Amino acid sequence: MKIAQYPEILAPAGSLEKLKVAVLYGANAVYVGGQKFGLRTAAENFTLDELSEGVSFAHARGAKVYVVLNSFLHDKDLSDLPDFVTFLESIKVDAVIVSDLGVLRTVREFSALSVHVSTQASTLNVEAAKLWKKMGASRIVLGREVSIKEAGQIRREAEIEIEMFVHGSMCMAYSGHCVISNFTQGRDSNRGGCAHSCRFEYSLDQGLATEEKKKAYFMSSKDLQGLRVLEDFIKEGIDSLKIEGRMKSHLYAGTMSKVYSETLNFYHAYGHFLSEDMLYWEEELSKVSHRSYTEASLTHKPGADSIFNEREIDKTDEWNMVGTVIEASPANGIVLEVRNAFNQGDELEFLPFKGRAIKVRALEIMDLGMSPILRTKPTTIVRLPYAQGVSQQMLIRKRAKQV
Amino acid sequence: MRPTTYAQNLHDLGVLKSEGFEEVILEHRSFSRFGQLSDEAFIEMATRAKELGLRVLLEWDILMTQTVFSQKVKAVSGFLNLVDAVRVQDPGALEWMLTNTTKPLQFIAENGNHNLSALTGWIEHAQGRMERIVLSIELSKATIQTYLKEISIPCELLGLGRILLFYTPRSLLSALTPLKSPVNQEFSAVAESEESPHKGFPVVENQHGTFMFHIKEFSLLEYARELEQMGMGFLRLDLRWQGARFVPPVCALVRNFEQQRYDVFKQEYPQDLMRGFYLVNKTDVLFPKLKNTRLQKREGDYAGEVLEAVKGSHLAIMVKNSRGLRRCDRLKILHPEGKTFEVDIFSLRNLALEEVDTVPAQQLALIPFVGGVWSKSQVFYLG
Repeated sequence: MKIAQYPEILAPAGSLEKLKVAVLYGANAVYVGGQKFGLRTAAENFTLDELSEGVSFAHARGAKVYVVLNSFLHDKDLSDLPDFVTFLESIKVDAVIVSDLGVLRTVREFSALSVHVSTQASTLNVEAAKLWKKMGASRIVLGREVSIKEAGQIRREAEIEIEMFVHGSMCMAYSGHCVISNFTQGRDSNRGGCAHSCRFEYSLDQGLATEEKKKAYFMSSKDLQGLRVLEDFIKEGIDSLKIEGRMKSHLYAGTMSKVYSETLNFYHAYGHFLSEDMLYWEEELSKVSHRSYTEASLTHKPGADSIFNEREIDKTDEWNMVGTVIEASPANGIVLEVRNAFNQGDELEFLPFKGRAIKVRALEIMDLGMSPILRTKPTTIVRLPYAQGVSQQMLIRKRAKQV
Repeated sequence: MRPTTYAQNLHDLGVLKSEGFEEVILEHRSFSRFGQLSDEAFIEMATRAKELGLRVLLEWDILMTQTVFSQKVKAVSGFLNLVDAVRVQDPGALEWMLTNTTKPLQFIAENGNHNLSALTGWIEHAQGRMERIVLSIELSKATIQTYLKEISIPCELLGLGRILLFYTPRSLLSALTPLKSPVNQEFSAVAESEESPHKGFPVVENQHGTFMFHIKEFSLLEYARELEQMGMGFLRLDLRWQGARFVPPVCALVRNFEQQRYDVFKQEYPQDLMRGFYLVNKTDVLFPKLKNTRLQKREGDYAGEVLEAVKGSHLAIMVKNSRGLRRCDRLKILHPEGKTFEVDIFSLRNLALEEVDTVPAQQLALIPFVGGVWSKSQVFYLG
């Protein structure tokens, strides 16, 4: 099978806004969910109109849109699926992502859409990939337990496109094989109701008389980060690198899309990653809320150090997303939607769609009515003086502790 | 309906024979999630089972990444002549068995597979080679009843046994043990969390990974007769964790259920029992409460979103409809808490604070403030 020249960067888009952010920041493709059939029930997700607009927006910029239908659907859930599938085909989505054979068969019956098999199906080996190919799949999103080397073998021997996770939160369990929420909270984790019980702290009694109960977050995994092994993905011909996180922020969607696409572009230009820019990109990844990073199974069997044995803390305390640029012009200045407050004098970083952050000190802040203000508030709109290079839809962040 | 179960030693086989079992599931340590049998022990057990007239089923239910898979397919061939059928769960194992052997197969479809199309899809794929399909314990009685009428091969359901909640290939218990563990050592623990009302989840770590089970075991013993009448082919009695001593009383209950004897059995059985979702599965009813649907209603006449509300001054609306916002438009504004407001636009300004007739899509429109409207309110056209 022909080796893909470079893998696509596939970013999460939990909403239409996030889709635009991901595409503008360099994602080659995005995956999105409709109001039903996906695994992120609590996510904003897309209405039909937004799906249509999202596909047009992405296609106009050369990016693809995949729609998740990756719940393990019950019979009653399947009844609405044909209409939705027909709609998806009419708006020309590039593929749907499924994990259930019944869903796959329904998609095949009612459309000619390309079908990607979700990581939820825990496809782990060549034979499983061959089976899904016979069922009509054109791509496999491998289980996160598979190494890059194994993935290359699966791609070559099953002759099917391979997608792997490169970044983001990880299930500790084989995906699709965890039903803790189902049986303890009455929420079907495989239909979008995961309660994240694996992130709880547990007391473990190993039955040893001399031993106190150990308290541990023993089922919680560190977050995946594959920046340092991008070359391995390329060499094994992996077709698509997926970033987890449809529930995550705009800043996350933008930063991840930007860092991974710029890193691959660097390789495309120079044929290696031997650059101090790697340190810069790694630092960029650290500016978004995350658990400690691990390469998990990408190169080796994950050991004890892959467990995130800590309390879940929102680490956005180091860098905050300030907001989004609504408009930037010499006439109107920079008009931005504030998501997190900032003060006069704070140094803001505007993230351009390509290249390094543009630093702007907020020496003069005005409200929409042009009155000066000293401190902004979330869910307000303010103006800053125009700065060269800043444009509409850019994300803005700042270091939480300003000096 | 016939019972099926596991045997872990030669004594168990004798018990099964005397209780009228026609088959036994054997677990080799290399292929089965909780298997204990070495090569020699497996051969001895399989041979003895056949002498007793029992059909021998090999449980190959581990999930396998390619490296592990390559090792297992080499090893499994040596055992196939000892067994009558192989039970697989990894679709790769199913495909390999279909392609490389002629053995009858039993497919464990316990994970997901909650629709008839999926189940029939697996059966059709096997082209007559699948002799049984194992159904999920998350299926309700009504669903099972429907399936049993439609599915062309015998079905199996767990009748009694542990509920597996979580399966990972990672070693999670030994990771907490400072001493290095010898290869293949097993660890077990009981887990509880202050964040869960349930206490005492059994956890097991072995060479295949780490497994967590529900604090209660699953039991449909009181519905055995009903299941038989519905056409269930096999009822699996999984007593691996509690021992073969419970086989006779369990079999007696399956053959002839009596509530009184069941009550006594439950007193003696080491784990509490539950019937799971057998009567009804409502694991999706909470979903509508997981998000504010008022923030989601963006179809059709959707105009945009209020990004800023400044009392006495303005509402800033991000226009999201290609029709734009026009002076004289009549709007409905839906507050995140559900209140609605109807307003006529008599003043419309753009970002330069100029009065305009229209503000196009993807731009900010300023209209006079409406009391009670907050940011995140959704805006719709009226008329």
